[in-house]
Amino acid sequence: MRIYRCLLRLSPLSLRRDYGAAMEEMFARRMADAARSGAWRRAYVLCRELAGLLVLAMSERFGTTARMRRRRQQLLSGPKAGMMDVIAQEIRQAARRLVRTPLFTTTAALTLALAIGANASLFTVVYRVVLKPLPYPDSERIIALDYGIPARNLASGMNSMAWQLYYQLADQARLLEGIAVYDSGATTLTGRGEPERIRVTRATPSLGSVLRLSPAHGRWFTEAEGVPGAAPVAVLSHGLWVRRFGSDRSIVGRSIALDGVPTEVIGVMPARFSFPDSRSDVWTAARSTRASASFLFNLNGVARLRDGASVESARAEITALIKDLSRRVPNQTGLVSAAVTLQEAMVGRIANALWVLLAAAGLVLLVACANVANLFLVRSETRQREVAVRRALGAGGRAIARYFFSESVLLAASGGALGLALAWGGVRLLVAFGPANLPRLDEVRIDSVVLLFAAALVLVSAAAFGLIPLLRVAPVAATLHEQGRGQTATRGSHRARQLLMGGQVALALILLIASGLMVRSFQALRAIDHGFDPSATLTFSIGLPAATYPTRQAAVDVHRRILEGVSQVPGVSGASTSTCLPLAFICFGNGLFVDGEAEDLTRPIAIVGFRAVAGGYTDVMRMPLLRGRSLGRDDIDRRESNVVVNKALAQAYFPGQDPIGRRIRSSRMGTPWLTIVGIVANTPTVAPGERAPTAQLFMPMSIAGGPDIPREALIGPDVTIMNYVVRSSLPSSSLVTAVRRAIDNVDPNLAISQVRSLQDVVDRASDQTSFTMVLLAIAATVALLLGAIGIYGVISYIVAQRTGEIGVRLAMGAEPRTVARMILRQGGMVTLLGIVAGLIAALAGSQLIRSLLYGVSPRDPIVFSLTTVALLVIALLACWLPARRASRLSPLLALRAE
Amino acid sequence: MKDDAPNQALPDLVFHVLLALGQGPTHGYAIGKDVEEQSAGRLDPTTGALYQVLRRLADEGLIAPVSSPDEVDPRRKYFALTKAGRRAAAQEAERLAALVRAARQRKLYPQRA
Repeated sequence: MRIYRCLLRLSPLSLRRDYGAAMEEMFARRMADAARSGAWRRAYVLCRELAGLLVLAMSERFGTTARMRRRRQQLLSGPKAGMMDVIAQEIRQAARRLVRTPLFTTTAALTLALAIGANASLFTVVYRVVLKPLPYPDSERIIALDYGIPARNLASGMNSMAWQLYYQLADQARLLEGIAVYDSGATTLTGRGEPERIRVTRATPSLGSVLRLSPAHGRWFTEAEGVPGAAPVAVLSHGLWVRRFGSDRSIVGRSIALDGVPTEVIGVMPARFSFPDSRSDVWTAARSTRASASFLFNLNGVARLRDGASVESARAEITALIKDLSRRVPNQTGLVSAAVTLQEAMVGRIANALWVLLAAAGLVLLVACANVANLFLVRSETRQREVAVRRALGAGGRAIARYFFSESVLLAASGGALGLALAWGGVRLLVAFGPANLPRLDEVRIDSVVLLFAAALVLVSAAAFGLIPLLRVAPVAATLHEQGRGQTATRGSHRARQLLMGGQVALALILLIASGLMVRSFQALRAIDHGFDPSATLTFSIGLPAATYPTRQAAVDVHRRILEGVSQVPGVSGASTSTCLPLAFICFGNGLFVDGEAEDLTRPIAIVGFRAVAGGYTDVMRMPLLRGRSLGRDDIDRRESNVVVNKALAQAYFPGQDPIGRRIRSSRMGTPWLTIVGIVANTPTVAPGERAPTAQLFMPMSIAGGPDIPREALIGPDVTIMNYVVRSSLPSSSLVTAVRRAIDNVDPNLAISQVRSLQDVVDRASDQTSFTMVLLAIAATVALLLGAIGIYGVISYIVAQRTGEIGVRLAMGAEPRTVARMILRQGGMVTLLGIVAGLIAALAGSQLIRSLLYGVSPRDPIVFSLTTVALLVIALLACWLPARRASRLSPLLALRAE
Repeated sequence: MKDDAPNQALPDLVFHVLLALGQGPTHGYAIGKDVEEQSAGRLDPTTGALYQVLRRLADEGLIAPVSSPDEVDPRRKYFALTKAGRRAAAQEAERLAALVRAARQRKLYPQRA
């Protein structure tokens, strides 16, 4: 329906005003009729109706149909042929000419449809994800706060705010209208059905005014609800409200249990709202006071700029305010604001990849246009006489222009309509198979802007290949004269064709190089040392119900019994468990204090990921042990306060020192000291091959958090939900069954979830690279194919044109091999020139793709040489086939063909 | 272009639309259905094509939009034949009848039973 309405907009206003609503109604009824006869019928009727609408729009705008014009002349007896009528007639005649050459028309229209479809679908994604403002009022003035410490090379962007800074900025930043901080985590929702783990975002009440939120039902938090001791309140997402509470409006004002805490529901957000991403199920008010504020960077911050303030000026002000802070707090080191607009923070990482893909699609369109232009050139050659006759009979330049242009416009329009249908399917495919971490994917759909874009593409491509035959209109007398011998085409037309052919080679080479670089990046990502061995592993997650396992000790005991059972499964070489696997983000983060160093909460502290593990975790993961020892079963059983840290932690907190034997503790108040017994290699938290690895420590699960451990005494993550790792070379299906049986022996009521291999986890994390790689590879393949067809077509045509000449040469005793070589040389020269041009363009443009690459230079010589050779081989093959045909010509036949 | 209009044939679709409206005022969807039935499926105009014809006929005064008696959906638009429309339909029927008569005279078509 939306598509229909959009397309309806193409037709003239008067028609739409009078009949638009009626047409929509009729369309809806027809679709309903068709739906009853199945999906195929529905698709058929939809295509037909949309095509009908396009025809209506075109003919209503650009002229009248033949029969109606006749009818009107009959009724109104005013036979004035207006400009529109002439154009309509021209289009009709062009249509007839095109129908008469079905092969040419189909080839050209399909080529264009492919290219326009690819462009329209990628543009849809780029427009919806990168260009369209975020769905918050005045969203361009919302910024995401972020900091860096250039001097200490501290990674920025993961956690961007501390409570101290929040109050500082809220009180003093004059360029900020409002500021809010938030963090996300998981909570268990109980009551009304099965307990469920849901995503919760804790935010300051000010988030409401920063984003200008308006809940669909109820209200957002008030400032009074954001202080310690206030009654717990929550706002539900539309999704959770529908799924869990059956869209019951009376839920507002009632109480739900989050992690067992009764919480009053005060509002429900609208369906389209999501923040910080679409996974958030519920929002609660973050509680804090100025007195308890720490300088721990474990929050995310957003702010709204005042009217007239720019991101740069806000950055300068925030940096200055932090400097002011450092005067009062001596230990402070140079924090610098790195705030960007929220949109950039959300889509910045992916935007680059999307633009490159759109550019690739644009290049494919150029190659396609070159191909169609080639077809047109050949066609115009055969039309020279017809055109000459028209001109001799008095047709002016404009009439001739209309003659050619009407064909190209019609062709481009039908290619565009077909392309839109392809894009419609393409967008669905992109959404279905796009990387899960592609932001705003849920907002992607075809809209009127995309239709306009497609229409513009149609016009541009029509102009691109419609003008070429025009340039080739030869003088009348010469053309009419041109007969018999001398059928070889003029020098000019050869040059035009060779230019197109060379251009195609160049464009195809650029795309081949780009996709080659992506393939190499992907290989590099696959071959990367993750700091653990993802092969031959099975992972799954077990959550313990608090009713059966109310204490940390009970949880630890059952985890140990499960591990014992799983380890005894034949074929299993090791099993362990952790609260957080690699690539699962920070999970549980805290700052760290080192024994013997000043404990200053107001000092910026690098965040450390805390993981509670069972014995042998780092061994089962095969994380290289750099120094000391790993945690064993004894550490768990005896509740030793021993920890293993990773290299990043050692470097951040013990630069140039030996951390073994040193004591550290969580920056939470009153937590006990932990002794470092070993150092392991870094493992990624966000993406494979990340440039700034996160500091991590591994502690025995028996000293971490549990249901009976109060929040204040928490020194590590809660061990009720653990991720198991089982190392085995068994096929995963039989392994899962055996593992399930082992768990059943301990407690048949335990549910296991997120069953997959570690390799799968790694693969998912490199989704974006593989997505880009696959799409670029498709673009390059299409370009190569079209390019090869183009080259083949041009050389074949040249051979056909020179048949007479070749016949003479052969008759005069030329060696067939010499003839073949002559043709090959002609094609080879053009190919070589195209390759040189393509190489220059690829070298010049290589910086554009740099940020997408991993572990490979944008000027990688292997990629450049391999793709060049591959293209050369394919191009020469495309030349060689017609060349061989030329050499095998029988002189007799060749001469007779004249 | 000749001016002796009455002898000109009406386009197929136009005649069918006029025919559909012969039963009384009705709306686009019903006209489309009637055209398809009367032409035994030979003509099945899309919504766009049908409305293009309806608009043209309305512009030329052969049919006229009438106020909608429909309570199901206020978006529906009803059309009725005008006098000129009836005349045009009658002329077309006359033309076709004359052709049938000629076919009979030349024994191309069975006589009336």
